[in-house]
Amino acid sequence: MNKFLKLVTATTVLSLAAGSLAVAQEGPIVIGVQAPTTGSEATYGKDMFNAISLAADEINADGGLLDGRQIELITGDTACDPQQSVNAASRLASQEVAGVVGGYCSGATQPTLKTYGDANIPFVIVAANSTQLIPANPGNAVMINSTGDDQAKTALDFFEGKGIEKLAIVNQGDAYSQDLANLTRDAWTGAGHTVSAFEYVNKGEQDFSALVNKIRGSGAEAVFWTAYYADGGLLIRQLRQRGFQGTIAVGDGSNSPELFNIAGQAAEGVFAFSNPTADFLPAAKQFASDYQSKFGNAPGPYAPLAYDGMQLMAWAIDKAGSTDGDAIIKALNSADGQEWLAGPISFTPQHTLARSNFVVLEGQDGKWTRYEK
Amino acid sequence: MDKHSPPTRPDVDEHDAHKTKPRNPLQRLYAAFESPGRRRALHLTILAILIVTPWISSQYTTVILTNALLYVVLCLGLNIVVGYAGLLDLGYAAFFAVGAYTVGILTQQFGVNFWAAIPFALMAAALAGVIIGGPTLRLRSDYLAIVTLGFGEIVRFTARNLEITGGASGLSHIPEPSLFGWHIDSSIDFYYVFVVLAVLAYIASQRLFDSRLGRAWLYVRHDEDAAEAMGINRVATKLAAYVTGAIFGAIGGIFFSVNLGAISPESFSFQQSVLILLAVVLGGMGKIPGVILGAFIVVLGPELLRDFGTLRLLIFAVLLLLIMLFRPSGIWPEKRS
Amino acid sequence: MTWYDSFLQQFVDGLVLGSFYALVALGYTMVFGVIKLLNFAHGDLYMTGAFAGFGGLSLVSGFLGAGWLGIFVAMLLAMLAVGCLGVVIERVAYHPMLGAPRLSILITALAVSLGLQNAALAMTGGQYTAFSTDLGFGGFNLGNLFLSYNQIVLVTTAAVLMIALELFVSRTLYGRAMRAVSIDKDMCRMMGINVSAVIAVTFFIGSGLAAAAGTMAGAYYGSIWYFMGFLIGLKAFTAAVIGGIGSITGAMLGGLILGLLESFGTHIPFIGSEWKDVFTFSILILVLVFKPTGLLGKSEVERM
Repeated sequence: MNKFLKLVTATTVLSLAAGSLAVAQEGPIVIGVQAPTTGSEATYGKDMFNAISLAADEINADGGLLDGRQIELITGDTACDPQQSVNAASRLASQEVAGVVGGYCSGATQPTLKTYGDANIPFVIVAANSTQLIPANPGNAVMINSTGDDQAKTALDFFEGKGIEKLAIVNQGDAYSQDLANLTRDAWTGAGHTVSAFEYVNKGEQDFSALVNKIRGSGAEAVFWTAYYADGGLLIRQLRQRGFQGTIAVGDGSNSPELFNIAGQAAEGVFAFSNPTADFLPAAKQFASDYQSKFGNAPGPYAPLAYDGMQLMAWAIDKAGSTDGDAIIKALNSADGQEWLAGPISFTPQHTLARSNFVVLEGQDGKWTRYEK
Repeated sequence: MDKHSPPTRPDVDEHDAHKTKPRNPLQRLYAAFESPGRRRALHLTILAILIVTPWISSQYTTVILTNALLYVVLCLGLNIVVGYAGLLDLGYAAFFAVGAYTVGILTQQFGVNFWAAIPFALMAAALAGVIIGGPTLRLRSDYLAIVTLGFGEIVRFTARNLEITGGASGLSHIPEPSLFGWHIDSSIDFYYVFVVLAVLAYIASQRLFDSRLGRAWLYVRHDEDAAEAMGINRVATKLAAYVTGAIFGAIGGIFFSVNLGAISPESFSFQQSVLILLAVVLGGMGKIPGVILGAFIVVLGPELLRDFGTLRLLIFAVLLLLIMLFRPSGIWPEKRS
Repeated sequence: MTWYDSFLQQFVDGLVLGSFYALVALGYTMVFGVIKLLNFAHGDLYMTGAFAGFGGLSLVSGFLGAGWLGIFVAMLLAMLAVGCLGVVIERVAYHPMLGAPRLSILITALAVSLGLQNAALAMTGGQYTAFSTDLGFGGFNLGNLFLSYNQIVLVTTAAVLMIALELFVSRTLYGRAMRAVSIDKDMCRMMGINVSAVIAVTFFIGSGLAAAAGTMAGAYYGSIWYFMGFLIGLKAFTAAVIGGIGSITGAMLGGLILGLLESFGTHIPFIGSEWKDVFTFSILILVLVFKPTGLLGKSEVERM
């Protein structure tokens, strides 16, 4: 880009920024929600949007931010497609949002980092957690979901603690679950154990009988499902129906009460790795029941994180004392380990979550309980 | 699509009968655009609008227009396969993927210069065109549809399963190219790159349409056997359509990958192929301005409906249905037959 | 398990999966037969059928229970409702397009598919719905082979539906008209056959079969959602083509073959389930290379 272009762009951006500051003093504070609300991932995207709007409503009911300004949400539907997510991000950027909360599919989140970076918009990434996002982050984004490494470590400890030798790992062929599956496989074989089956299923496939036979035939003592609850519920059902007696564990994408609706009885005794959410903190209990009564279904696996993301953004805006991008980004990064629904948040220099506190949950009587070895 | 349908196309007959005076206002408008004198002025006006737009509109407009121009390139490419040669292709995203991944792998993993990687991507795409074209030459359109669909899915699954393509996460940090010291990195830079690509694709499509090969495609589309009897090499002609279409798709993919800086299998799904086909048929198969119009509708439609949230695709579907019901041959159909 | 038992188990599981594919593929192939349309909305009728069956079950479970009887009645209700929906779709979206180029009608089919999917998304809020029934996990072992009662009921129902359809098409007057329409619509019109009515009946039956498959899948697997028709639509399309599109027996055969391919594809040594679909599509392409009109497709005389 030559100097002239740069100069013109810089002037345009500056004047836009000045314009937004001038406007921003009175009206509501606009926050963008980046999530897939159409397409095959809309289940999770709507979940995130619901949780974020719940948080925004609570903040508004408490008098809003910065001397009574209300929060207004705009959706940026990504449909989990990289192109569409860049479109959505540019639209949010041109609507001069004070910040963006969301990010579900890693592949669709990654190209938006540049868009928000160029516009200096603070971005709280609530669910996407691929390690590829870390170097792509220009510094304006923070990731509040732990990366797969931490969970793979928890899985290793858990399965070793159960005395398991042969493990079957099943993923869904998307970035998140494939990443977690690969990390777990490497950790498991690295520790000298055997991965007896490493399998893929397609999203939306309902019949896992061939897979279940293969897992049983491989002599696996335990199965680790690294993807989401909806298909995981079906897999668990079919594993138990076909007489698989071993341990079944699921990743944090399956940590939803909805798993019990789908898997029914078969979910009893299933383990899940998770942030210490929902039913273990008083605030979280309140959240779960508010969510249920407002939207008619139980919060999904990323609902607490999405709620936290909105609350964190609000906290940062309050702390920054303005809707200035730099100030909010600075405030976000200064998060010093306060307790949120999904645990304390503070950030590493790479803007990722600076903790690993995965806990193990066990399905009992149709709900998750804390599992102590 | 098949050779039995042309005689039953009411639009064609109707138009032929009233060649000198188009009847409805839409036809009159199209006819106005098609007169050679006005065409030149029109081209210049559109080009001027395209050049000025990013300076008078928001970054969002620039980004979605860039997207629309990418679709123009892809749709013109598919138009060669579907519109010119009459071969149904439900896996066009495969060519798009081949271009994007070849450049992504070469530049990001082997440090090859972007411009040096382009010939390899084009060769890979041409090869893919031959591989897909080869087995399908004997097939009728509906079987062709499923074979191309199968190839598209095979390409996507391969990209998801291999390590060199980055698995499901795909490739990231694909370096931005430079051209004579101009570092192409902002959205406006890429917008202009895609303006150039779309213009080139437009010119190439026009030239192909008027060429000997273009007429050969027309013959093959209407009657393969008669075409062969006239001395047209059926196999070579069909393969040429696939290869040309593949190269258009790959060019789109090459610049798509550096524009986003990251590619992953979800960009090359079956839905992507279907969307491109939709644009071509909606606009008017074989008709260049129609196809361009289709590309813009398919990209801008869902964008303009964003305020409807979850309902936006439902509304888009209804609009699509209405357009097709009122313009069954596409918005701006091809009349040459 | 010995290799023999394992083979048999895969075979049985492949048949169960294949009978779903076959039921859905039938609708594809019938619609193709009469109006030469690849009905991309067919998978979404399967999804709509699953939701209709769910609604039907909650209506009747009060007095019939949520066992097989209740599900059966719910299935009939779903077939009726979705069959009518299919007829309406044909009237609104396909019928006016019959004179247009073939690909245009494909686009209206895509629009209908997009519409149904997004309508369901809006109505369910994207949530997965648990399709709870009183069906147990029970079954019995034959040697090392495990068969659940549900599988047996399911395959039997699918077989009965398919035989009924075959009889309908080959023995009844409407069936004969349907076959005639698929050969030459204009001639049929001249012979006094009400072509529109025949097309409507075809859509009713095809959509009804999709609804039956949807309800059974919902009850058998236990959860339904707005996007569930996409993958099976694609697979049923594949199955219909393998068998020879337009051929009813071909669709059944294609469905079963596809089910078996997928079942065995998971077990190919050194390849694994990640390459399963690549394997399936490669076989499909090979079949078509050697048999360009599918296994049982009519090899139309294209040369004059």
